[in-house]
Order: sequence, then C-alpha cells, then structure tokens
Amino acid sequence: MADTDAAKSLSGLLNGITQKVYYNNPDITEELLKNELYLEMSQDEFSALHEKMRGLLKSIASADMDQGQLDAFLTAQTKRRQGGAGLSSEQAAVLTRFWKTHRTKVRESLLNQSRWEPALRGVSWRVDVQAGDRRGDTAHSGAVALVELELGRTGESSDFVCLEMDESKVNLLLKKMGDIQQSIDRIVHHSPQKSEEA
Amino acid sequence: MSTGHTKEPSFLGGRIPPEIELMSKNLKDLDQDTFRKLLKAVVGALEGRDNRDAIKSVSENCLISPNKLNHVVAGMYQVLSEAIRISSATLKQEFISDFSSVVFGNRRVALEAASSQTDPHLPTLEQLQWRVDVAISTGSLSRALQPSVLMQMKLSDSSFKQFEVPVSKFQELRYNVALILKEMNDLEKRNILKIQD
Repeated sequence: MADTDAAKSLSGLLNGITQKVYYNNPDITEELLKNELYLEMSQDEFSALHEKMRGLLKSIASADMDQGQLDAFLTAQTKRRQGGAGLSSEQAAVLTRFWKTHRTKVRESLLNQSRWEPALRGVSWRVDVQAGDRRGDTAHSGAVALVELELGRTGESSDFVCLEMDESKVNLLLKKMGDIQQSIDRIVHHSPQKSEEA
Repeated sequence: MSTGHTKEPSFLGGRIPPEIELMSKNLKDLDQDTFRKLLKAVVGALEGRDNRDAIKSVSENCLISPNKLNHVVAGMYQVLSEAIRISSATLKQEFISDFSSVVFGNRRVALEAASSQTDPHLPTLEQLQWRVDVAISTGSLSRALQPSVLMQMKLSDSSFKQFEVPVSKFQELRYNVALILKEMNDLEKRNILKIQD
C-alpha cells in the first residue's frame, strides 16, 4: 500500500518535472509539486529528491536512452544506494515506466528547443480557376494553386505566407521535393545502423 | 447615333434574344463550309428569296441534327436583321476586319496574357533554395541525429522567407504539393466550365 502510494507520488513528481523542464509549462513549480505530492516530507528532503530526479531525467533525456541503456543506467544508480545518493529498485521501476511513455515527446521537445528558424507548422491550399476579371470572361486561363504556409518559432504565434502557383510552378516544386527526399533518404537509410553500433 | 448608343448597350438590346444565344451554342459543332452555305441561304431569305431548298440540302448533307440547324438559322436571321439596322457610317468597313482580327486572331493569346498580368495576384514563388541538415548534437540532446530541411523562398514581391521543415512536416508538404498537381491535372481533363450549366 505504502509502496503504491510512493510510486504514484514519484510518478507525479516525474511528470511535474517533465512538464516544467521539457514541455515549458510555467504553471508547475517545485512548491506546487511538494504541496500536492509530498506534503508530509520535510522541505530539505523534498528538495533533495526533486534535485535527484531532475538530474536523472536530464541524463536520461540528454542521451535519449533506449530500453537497454536505461536499464544499465538505472542498475548502476541502484547499486550506488549504499553510498546514500542512490536509487531504490521501486524508484527505478517507476522511472522505467515513465520514460517508456515520454521518451518520444521529450526528444521532440528537446529538438524543438534547438530550432531557431521558424518551422513549418502546416500547409493549406486550394485550386482556383479564374472565371473573370474587370474585362469580362477569362475562361482560358489555367488553374492556379493558392498555398498558405503556416510558420512559427517554438512558443510563438504563427506567421502565414500565402503564394500562388501555376501548374508549371507546382510541377517544378514537386521535382525539388523529390530531390530533397532523395537527399534525406541518403542520410536516414544509414543512420539506424550507426545508432545501434554506437 | 451616340445618344441611341448610350440608351441601348448593344444593337441587340439590353438582353440578347434567345434565338441568338441558342445559335452561338450550336455554332460550335459547325464547320466553315456548312456555316457559309447556311449564311448564304439566310442572306437570300433576307433579300426576299425562298431558300428552303438550300437549307434542306445542307441538312441532308451534314451530320448536325435538323433541330440544331434550325436554331442556327433562326439565330443568324435574327442577328443579321438586327445588325442591318446599324448605320453603315458607324465604323469604316476596313476597320471592322482589323478590329476583329485583333480580337479573334492570333494576337489574342498575347493580349490575354498581358491583361491578366494586371489582375490582382498573390505573390508567386520565384526561387526555392534548400539544404538538408542533420543535427548531430545539441545543448540538451547529446545525440540528436535529426535531419531537417532548411528552405528559403524568394517571392515575386521580392521578400525572402526562410524556415525549417522537420522531416515529418516535409512529407506532409510533399504529399500536398503532389495532391495540388493532381488536382490541377484533373481540372484540365474535366472541363471545369461545365459548372456554368
């Protein structure tokens, strides 16, 4: 019973730290976490626990640990327990479960933190045929694509770029996209092997 | 003459008579030879001759349905009988052919292209430069190994837009561009102007 409570509180703490540090949620503070999860713990004890978990998460996130790496890392941490600053195996289990669900999102968020140019957030488009203008019928003009790109820096509101393209422009753009794809494929096809070796 | 002109937008009146509308729809299927034969017959009729035989022989010798031919003949008759009332001093004969050759001749494509330049437009894409980067390591992620595309667009309003495209978004963008092209190609196959019917 006490163990499940401890596990729940720790899971809550890890969530809170992740919200604050990795998902930039400003509503979560150390004080809030103490009052909600560890009301009976002394301030010093809580601070120590908070610092320890923050540090562990930082190491795990920074190395983007996979299951095997995490197991090895946590085993090393639990062995240090005799030294005082170590980790209990229950805590290690909570960390393992937590990291399993958050790894992808944390990695994504860390990548976004190192992106300074505005990033593409979305594309909307429509295809029009010009049906008329001030001189009357222009039924002969071809189709026009109107494209809106949504751009924005992390944490900032979006900027919209609208442009129009005729068919030949769209064709050209698609060809460039093919070139870019090839360029990406050259890197991506090799990288999984490399990362396993490392 | 000029006062009459301001009251009436065209020699056909404010509204184009239904016979003439029907004629212009049905004229599309006619070849020039048939058209000329019919015109000759209608002109004959306007001059007071009986041309039923001429029309009958056209009708027997071409593939157009008699109903369509009737529409064409009625429209031609109407157009000519209205047009004949325009004073011949309105415009010098030789100017008429010059005007119509400009409007309907081979200058038309160039004229349309030039005039559509002045229609309101969104900026167009003039140049697209790109670069694929792989983030190896960052301040908060020791082994990022994350590819991304840096794009720089030059637009026709001479502005530059530079932005990063994560790979997942790049796939989305590429898919959408392909979809746009498909949609535009499809549009050309279906005649979109049938919407008007």
